[in-house]
Amino acid sequence: MEHILSLLVFFPAMAGLLGFLVAKESIRAYGISVSAIEFFLSIILWIGYDSTNAGYQFVEYYPFISSYGMSYYLGVDGISLFLVILSTFITMIALIALSIEKEIKNLIISVLFLEMTMVGVFVILDVIWFYAFWELSLVPMLYIIGAWGSVNRMYAAIKFFLYTFAGSVLMLVGILYMGFLYHEATGIWSFALPDWYLLQVPFETQLWLFGAFFLAFAIKVPMFPFHTWLPYAHGQAPTIGSIILAAVLLKMGSYGFVRFSLPLFPDASVYFLIPVAVICIIMVIYAAMIAYAQKDMKQVIAYSSISHMGIVVLGTFAMNAEGITGSIFLMLSHGIVSGALFMLVGVIYDRRHTKLMSDFGGLASVMPNFATIYGIMLMASVGLPLSIGFVGEFLSLVGFYRISWVMTLLAGTGIILGAVYMLVLYKKSFFGEVVHAENKTLKDLNAKELTALIPLVALVAILGIYPKPVLSVIDMSVQKMLVLMDQKAVLQETKELLFKANTIGGTN
Amino acid sequence: MITLTHYFILTGILFSIGLVGVMRRTNLLMLFFSTEILLNAINVGFVAVSKYYNDLSGQLFAFFIIAVAASEVAVGLGLLILWYKRNGSVDLNSLQMMKG
Amino acid sequence: MENYLYTALFAPLASSLFVALFAARPKMLFTGIVASLLIAISMIASFVLLIDVNTYGPLHVSMMDWISAGNLEIPFGFVVDEVSVIMMVTVTLVSTIVHIYSIGYMDHDKSFNRFFSYLSAFVFSMMILVMSDNFVGLFIGWEGVGLCSWLLIGFWYHKHSASWAANEAFIMNRIADLGMLMGLFLIYWSVGSFQYDEFFASLKTMDSTLLATIGLFLFIGAMGKSAQFPLHTWLADAMEGPTPVSALIHAATMVTAGVYLVIRCGELYTLIPDVGFAIASLGAFVALFAASMALVNNDLKRIIAYSTLSQLGYMFVAAGLGAYWIALFHLMTHAFFKSLLFLGAGNVMHAMHDELNIKKMGGLYGSMKATAILMSVASVALAGIYPFAGFFSKDKILEVAFNEGAYFLWFALFIGAGLTAFYSFRLVMLVFFGEKEYEKYGIHPHEAQPFVIYALLPLGLLAIVSGFLEHTFEGFVTRLLAQYEIHIEHGTEALLIAATLGIALSGIAFAVYMYRRGGFPKSWEERFCYKLLSNQYYIPKLYELYIMRPFSALANFAWQKIDTKVVDLTVDLIAKMVYSTGEKSRKMQSGNLSDMLRWMVVGMIGLLILAFVYRPMV
Repeated sequence: MEHILSLLVFFPAMAGLLGFLVAKESIRAYGISVSAIEFFLSIILWIGYDSTNAGYQFVEYYPFISSYGMSYYLGVDGISLFLVILSTFITMIALIALSIEKEIKNLIISVLFLEMTMVGVFVILDVIWFYAFWELSLVPMLYIIGAWGSVNRMYAAIKFFLYTFAGSVLMLVGILYMGFLYHEATGIWSFALPDWYLLQVPFETQLWLFGAFFLAFAIKVPMFPFHTWLPYAHGQAPTIGSIILAAVLLKMGSYGFVRFSLPLFPDASVYFLIPVAVICIIMVIYAAMIAYAQKDMKQVIAYSSISHMGIVVLGTFAMNAEGITGSIFLMLSHGIVSGALFMLVGVIYDRRHTKLMSDFGGLASVMPNFATIYGIMLMASVGLPLSIGFVGEFLSLVGFYRISWVMTLLAGTGIILGAVYMLVLYKKSFFGEVVHAENKTLKDLNAKELTALIPLVALVAILGIYPKPVLSVIDMSVQKMLVLMDQKAVLQETKELLFKANTIGGTN
Repeated sequence: MITLTHYFILTGILFSIGLVGVMRRTNLLMLFFSTEILLNAINVGFVAVSKYYNDLSGQLFAFFIIAVAASEVAVGLGLLILWYKRNGSVDLNSLQMMKG
Repeated sequence: MENYLYTALFAPLASSLFVALFAARPKMLFTGIVASLLIAISMIASFVLLIDVNTYGPLHVSMMDWISAGNLEIPFGFVVDEVSVIMMVTVTLVSTIVHIYSIGYMDHDKSFNRFFSYLSAFVFSMMILVMSDNFVGLFIGWEGVGLCSWLLIGFWYHKHSASWAANEAFIMNRIADLGMLMGLFLIYWSVGSFQYDEFFASLKTMDSTLLATIGLFLFIGAMGKSAQFPLHTWLADAMEGPTPVSALIHAATMVTAGVYLVIRCGELYTLIPDVGFAIASLGAFVALFAASMALVNNDLKRIIAYSTLSQLGYMFVAAGLGAYWIALFHLMTHAFFKSLLFLGAGNVMHAMHDELNIKKMGGLYGSMKATAILMSVASVALAGIYPFAGFFSKDKILEVAFNEGAYFLWFALFIGAGLTAFYSFRLVMLVFFGEKEYEKYGIHPHEAQPFVIYALLPLGLLAIVSGFLEHTFEGFVTRLLAQYEIHIEHGTEALLIAATLGIALSGIAFAVYMYRRGGFPKSWEERFCYKLLSNQYYIPKLYELYIMRPFSALANFAWQKIDTKVVDLTVDLIAKMVYSTGEKSRKMQSGNLSDMLRWMVVGMIGLLILAFVYRPMV
């Protein structure tokens, strides 16, 4: 168990390198086995995880360039644990459902490399390494979209790459400055996040650093108005690319807020709370409206991701355990649900080679199993209680209610608008008569697709009915982080807000 | 009395002549001449300053430059002749393979 | 007793999941029978619990933890007390009958199995709704019934109108749910818990503005589920669903969930009489408003739907004015006779081959005597004629309004009672008596299967006798709910009863008189009033014109103009600027050595200038 995190990070990449030697015919099975082993490793991680300890576990620390304070520093806590499991799980499921034949070897190897970067981002505690994994994750995705995408793929791939890359550059500046500050304060260099957590940054500096980090995270999430790369990327990406992009890559941005912005710059986070919340509300409503206007099924889900991520970020900025725990849970549930929805769109795209809703209609009678699973995912997406989607959304909104009830009300319109665009999508595609002759002979889900989808359905139900094992682990680490924020805050107002946000009673 | 300033003025005039030549001439051979003028302008400056400070390093540098200029011309003329044999012209406007 | 509780709760779930296994297969009779049996088991368990609660008092169990984060703890906890057990009994009783009825009604439907799966799932959600011991548990049931309602309204999904109505119902309910969620959040942050008992215990420490806000938010939720104005349009459209669904969900149980919520939070609403009065006023308005729409409609099911709406208004008047047990009593009796009315209508529809226009019926008494008698009984009960159930419960509500001095509300309800009697018997007369219009359309009506009729008999019986349970009922539920004393002098009370009976009877008499002579002349249909009513006060049209279309337009605008033309174009513009800078500066790379040398000179001069400007200061 000592090196399980290193194993988790590098196993897929090493296996990916070996994959070049594997014959083309067996590469599928190879990819699925590797990702399954990786998934089981992450489950072992969960089993070994001590749920009574809120701090970092399975820590590995080796000096890397010690004169500049860089180290190879891994660790996992309640906040990152489930995101790691989500990454390995979604990669496995996406590989199982993979239906591409062209250049499949390169695709699977890219996916395995991508898995390394995703797991790396979530478990690494050295910020320079974090930055490296963060940027590296763009490369396989660029390749996946650019090589296996649809017609306009080059534009989408380059837009995705340059946009997110440009955002991160400023984060690098922020990282270096933060390292410099640490050196100024202590006389030694360190880029280890736990060290940085101990550093109290002056308020003015916090504002600038918050801004530098914010841009990188906001583009990744993506927050309005930095979201336009997402619809293109989803529109052009192959199914597997969309699944991983929506399920995991977007979570890196919101994870960044929880891991960096809040604990490193508590005062700035509180200072920018209202502007960020306004952006979130715009995201929720605006993206939901655009989703309603879409004609392409995949675009609806792409925009719905933006809308849901708005609630994720809103929950993060609730500054209380309810909201932040909820937002992390919502990251997981959105990962599972949006991944499943993109997979379902992929299923129908494989059959009909179109994603336009007007080309469908009446699918419920032709493909009943497909319609049922789609319906379940749709209900999870609109946040029906006892499905996975409800827990996170409810907690995020509960949490933010303490900050502002008007904003919660506005963000809450997301649950109405979400129902609007999702139900309209369902009605257009699944209900009514079968009007297109091509649709009359469509085959229902095959064994491969069912294997990929049924675990997702099961998770939607299980975590909706009994989310406690996951929530309690997250909650413990979140509460620890809140205490840290309170200790580090330099302004009295920040401490007051943190206190108020975490206390019952009194009027707001 | 000829002071250092006079030498600098001479250097400046020579350098300017060389610079204009470098910019205006389109014949490759003429370009070499202009380069020589540029280098020699600097040489004059070096020698003058060397005398002024009573420091031999300047004159030493001038010799180095003469040596470098000579080898440069040797190589350059060789390439030039090669080019002339191949293309029949040493006009710069015919030499645009690096157009971006 | 816990076992009975879990049986009552989970038997419907078991039924739903078991039947779901066969959902995609063609009709299998046993699915319907198994589902009915399991629901009947749930009903028996509920009755056992009723007796138990009566003898030993409430039962409270905590099954397991659900959500916990920060200070928040939400368990799956269930409480069986006087109120919830009444709801359980009502729900399971009506559900059992509807299940049995559906075996006959859905006989020819190819999705027979799927129907029972949904219907049982609905019962399960409804049981969670009424049994939960906390607000979030209630919300689970609340959304669960919404989901089942969506599934069942859109059951015949190949029909455009059905799936449209299903979506409308779901979305309208979501709007109200948002209000309810806000109420829940507020409860959490002021009490720190979602448990009913903890919330009620801390009511006294909260100031009245806070209480009123909570009360209003919760009532917004109730408005959606109980289809109160202005969120009422979905209920009439929901009649697209199969008729047993309309009977169970959109008459007897789900739509009364809002009333249940207000009754459940009675302790809260007692403290905020102003909000209570607002609820009552809205209720009285809806009672009259919906009854007026029922007057002219020609759609068999829509008439009954508007009648449901109107009766829900009555219940809200009672609940708003603090007479919670009366509201609950009317809820129960209404469930019996209204579901009977709907199920009878289902028989008529079958007989008429899914024809819904009552103008095309008439004279059906000859061929469907049993249905005609049952529906007449239900109509009399609905109209509130002694000794039928409606008389006891509805008359009490009028007395309450009078007792509170809300004479205006009383008058509205009084007129409403007359209208109710009129439209109920207009329906009965047009469907069962008069000219046999259906012969023109070549329809040969037939009575429903005998077991369907037998299944309806208990409801018929209850519609007649349940009114006499009034005092037992009062004694039972007021152990938990607030007592309500009516202080009206005996003489006045008798006068009031006589007046109400009088207007109901004259409504009936007028309907019978008019429709025996062939009804109103055709020219009435040209009048403004008639058009206003038959177009539902143009409200659906208004919603379409001023909400749906602008929303669509705005959504399109946001996408095509703002998102692609402003936001994305700005991003692309930045990229293009970088690109075009490169494109332009490319000319510098002419490949001509002279040009390069010139640029070199320019650069050198530039560097010299820089060196001069930033020269070290001596």
